[in-house]
Amino acid sequence: MEIKIENLNKEYPSREKGGSPTKAVLDLDLTVKDGELMGLLGPSGCGKSTTLYMIAGLQDPTSGFIYFDEDDVTHLDAEKRGIGLVFQNYALYPHMSVYQNVEFPLTNLKVEEEEKAYDLEYEDTLLNILKNDEALIALIKETITSGKKSKVALAEALIRSYHIAPSLAKTIVNALKKEGESYQHSINVLAAKAEGKKGKILQRYAKQGIEIDEQYRLLRNGEPRKIQRSLTKDERDTYVKETAKLVQIEEYLERKPSELSGGQQQRVAIARALVKRPRVLLLDEPLSNLDARLRIQTREEIRRVQQATKITTVFVTHDQEEAMSICDRICVMEKGEERQVGKPQDIYKDPNCLFVAKFLGTPPINVFSGSVRSGKVYIGEEAVFKGVDIPDQEITIGIRPEGFKAKPKKTDLKLHLPIDDILTQGRDVTLVSSSPLVEGGIVKIIVDSDLPFKKGEEAFAIKPNKIFLFEKETGKRIRF
Amino acid sequence: MDKKNKWKAWLYLAPVLILMAVFTFYPIISTFIASFLKDYNNVTGENSGFTFYNYQYVLGLAERYEGSGVFFKEFFSLNPAEHSAFWNTMFITFVTVPISVVLSLAIAILIHSIKPLKKIFQTVFFMPYVTNVIAVGMVFSLLFSQFGVWNRIFGLSTAWLADNSATWGGVMFVLCLYIIWSALPYKILIFLSGFEGIDRQYYEAAKIDGAGRFKTTMKVTIPLISPQILYITVTSFIGAFKEYSSVVGLINRSYSSDQNVQDLYTVVYWIYDQMSKGDWNTTSQFADAAAMILLFVILIFTLIELWVSKKKVVYR
Amino acid sequence: MKQAYITTTLRLVPPSCKTKKKKENTSENLAMIEKNQKIKKIVGLVFVYAFLAFFALIVLFPFYYMIVASFMTQQEAYQGALFPELSSVFENIAYNYSNTFERLDFMSHVGTTLIVAVATTILQLLTTILAAYAFARLEFRGRDVLFIFFLTTMMVPGELLAIANYTTMANLGFINKSQTYGEALFVMIVPLIASSFYIYLLRQNFKQIPNELYLASKVDGKSDWTFLWKVMAPLSSPTLITIAILSFISSWNSYVWPNRSVTKPEFQVISVIIRTGSLTVQDEMGNWVTMLPWQMTASVLTVVPLLLLFIIFRKYIMSGTGRSGIKG
Repeated sequence: MEIKIENLNKEYPSREKGGSPTKAVLDLDLTVKDGELMGLLGPSGCGKSTTLYMIAGLQDPTSGFIYFDEDDVTHLDAEKRGIGLVFQNYALYPHMSVYQNVEFPLTNLKVEEEEKAYDLEYEDTLLNILKNDEALIALIKETITSGKKSKVALAEALIRSYHIAPSLAKTIVNALKKEGESYQHSINVLAAKAEGKKGKILQRYAKQGIEIDEQYRLLRNGEPRKIQRSLTKDERDTYVKETAKLVQIEEYLERKPSELSGGQQQRVAIARALVKRPRVLLLDEPLSNLDARLRIQTREEIRRVQQATKITTVFVTHDQEEAMSICDRICVMEKGEERQVGKPQDIYKDPNCLFVAKFLGTPPINVFSGSVRSGKVYIGEEAVFKGVDIPDQEITIGIRPEGFKAKPKKTDLKLHLPIDDILTQGRDVTLVSSSPLVEGGIVKIIVDSDLPFKKGEEAFAIKPNKIFLFEKETGKRIRF
Repeated sequence: MDKKNKWKAWLYLAPVLILMAVFTFYPIISTFIASFLKDYNNVTGENSGFTFYNYQYVLGLAERYEGSGVFFKEFFSLNPAEHSAFWNTMFITFVTVPISVVLSLAIAILIHSIKPLKKIFQTVFFMPYVTNVIAVGMVFSLLFSQFGVWNRIFGLSTAWLADNSATWGGVMFVLCLYIIWSALPYKILIFLSGFEGIDRQYYEAAKIDGAGRFKTTMKVTIPLISPQILYITVTSFIGAFKEYSSVVGLINRSYSSDQNVQDLYTVVYWIYDQMSKGDWNTTSQFADAAAMILLFVILIFTLIELWVSKKKVVYR
Repeated sequence: MKQAYITTTLRLVPPSCKTKKKKENTSENLAMIEKNQKIKKIVGLVFVYAFLAFFALIVLFPFYYMIVASFMTQQEAYQGALFPELSSVFENIAYNYSNTFERLDFMSHVGTTLIVAVATTILQLLTTILAAYAFARLEFRGRDVLFIFFLTTMMVPGELLAIANYTTMANLGFINKSQTYGEALFVMIVPLIASSFYIYLLRQNFKQIPNELYLASKVDGKSDWTFLWKVMAPLSSPTLITIAILSFISSWNSYVWPNRSVTKPEFQVISVIIRTGSLTVQDEMGNWVTMLPWQMTASVLTVVPLLLLFIIFRKYIMSGTGRSGIKG
């Protein structure tokens, strides 16, 4: 399913009377493609959570539209949108067990299907199994001789071999339990009972003038009818267990949320969001309450589940590394406005404004103030880069930490920087330098560890694809 | 902590400790002892030794005077139809507690669900809490007088409370109504402050999970305030066992003026009425035994509360 | 419902899900959806407000009736009139109120009640502050045991205490037929001063005050005594106000203990006097009848000061009481 946001606005009325309203989201246009994992990225207060809550239906937009495929859901109640939402602090119901937490959404949903004679299908299936009594008895004996005597084990064996519902398996197991009877006898008794019930059911349908086709659909006047019904206990159980398996919380199903660790609670929250097969999965800063190690593990987990289910997912975070590592595309927001949308690497390589350039990347981009004079970029009085075909002006210059070329050729234009410190981190070496012209006063440079460096002044050339120029006033990218 | 503080602490505690020793600890011990003494005289302290007679007497198991064949039935009798203090109290308890708890929960849920006028409703429903039980009891007795407002509205001429013609049922009806009326405010307030403590995210989660308003209330809101519900239930049971002032407010009768008042005795009413009797000095041990029984009942309910709260209730 | 097979490919939908197609999404359609939702919401709200208003009416009615009945003639009150004849209201008010004041000697009883209530409140506050401070800040042997012991006494019914206290006071010579006013006051005030519940409430509040403040004042060379009155007490003033108001209200309303322990009617508090005081007149037939409007006037005079207190200190009373429900 595709989410399409058109011209979305959210204003909060001003606290004071007559004051102008606060604009949380401003003219947002965004399309999340079917099956895509989209990250909403930005600092706190940028409107990303508000946007997510509007998609969820927990907040009402001031203007604009939200479409799920072709459906306009802008003003639809949250409970009718069929979405899954994972809250920042999970919001698991503390009084319910994990199982009940995951089951809860299912108790509110309906199944839409054609009216079916489930009762008749049930008796027919039972009769079919019983008819082949040799196979059944063989299965029973095999289960018992393999050492598992419990009724549960037998029921499981039946479910596995016949792919039947647990309640049907239970019916068979319970019929067998009477001691002193041969299996054959029990089977015959049960079959006779089922025959009787089947007869009654057929009679009842006949009386109501309802025909039943070979798929057990009820035909009223020859036509099947669409109905909505609640999920049965067996169905809910199947769904809960399936989802629990997907997010690997099967062992904790009977526990209370308070007995789980943060990471386990997170999985339960994801299971609760996924169990109802949502059309859209929304995640509100899902990793912010976890410690660093668990965060990396869980974000890969989220990626895996999303890949497995192919549910259209929107992921809100303020952590650019998190967004870059798992999202198909990200939307960087600032002050309620969309700044740039695209694949993480594309945005990193080609930011369209200073804000985006600064927000993505660790260590962050080095921002110098400088100028362009006759096609050359100057930082201070040093020309560091040439071939810039724009009018002379004061500009802001962004250079990625990895954008410095050490030991440049003589012909290259160079930037001279004093090296204050050398930090070795495995493969890479980070040089820490200072300059009065850089924002924050400190320049970070990542270089290859093969090259020898020592403290003192050093000259660098700038790699052309790692330098970005921005307008001094607006921060807009200047392309050259 | 330096040594000086150790005796200093006792200095801070001294006023309370002295007052409690005389007016709380001593009474508990002396009442307990006196309830097991035969023919105890509370002025002289004379008695004729240990006995269970006081309890047997109060519970109607021992004869009033030896060989008389007459049993004391004011406080307790096996037959509920005899309207002993015990059964009256039971009746009041099991009528007023469930009704007032459910009603106050419903009102609290509805007040919590609205926005405009919320403050006003909160205040209005809390008002009976600060009023004088006796004064409002008199108002109720006027409302239920033979030609009073209640009878006029419903076109009745029942003598609900009138001294001579009132029936037990009529008095109990008005009494229960009055007790429920005065029991609502505290409960509503406690429930409301419980609701305020619930994180809004649970409601949002329930919305996302597709639960309607009713289901959210039943499956999320009420379970989350179960500590408050338990607390309220237990304290109202205890409160109902101790019902007294409301009876006096409604019907101004006492043993000395009206021998038939025993029909309307509650446990506490009976205990207090003993004090205004002429032979108090020599009969106080019966009141002592009754008070110990009351303490025992309250103790049991408190223990139930502790036990249930450990087992079932969610604490956030 | 019995099922033979479980399908995992069910089509799950929210109940009665009706979304409009994009193309049909005209403003008219949107308006329709909104209108339907609004109507549903309004019907629900009407029901909620009606329910609340109905019970609010029941809650308020006794107050209303108490006041209007004090404006009535005996005849009107007796016949259950819902409001007095307007022409004679002022006459009735003057008649009822002056007679009630006079007959009950109301002001002298109000005086007694005020003395008892104010004295109890002040003494209760003082002792509570001291004890709560000892329990919250000072360290001494057996502190926790003693505190738990205090808590358990909350469970003991006042009735049990009343029996023995009655005997104690009688044996001390404070309760007898020749009780003096001073003795009556003493009997009414002293046994009710110590309250483990208020100590508990205040101790919890004191505990929330950060320990750093205490240590800082120690470093500054302040004594415990100064710290208590200059720092702790002012910081806990909301709780102290709550305790003071609740204590005052319960003293003002006290009935049981004064009724038993004060032997002379002229020393009684108002709760007792409105119930037992003589408000009867002789009718034409020579029978003594209770003047109902006077009774209601007495009730108004007892309750209205409380309601005023409540309205002024609503915030403190309600938050203080609300807190008392969350134990532990």
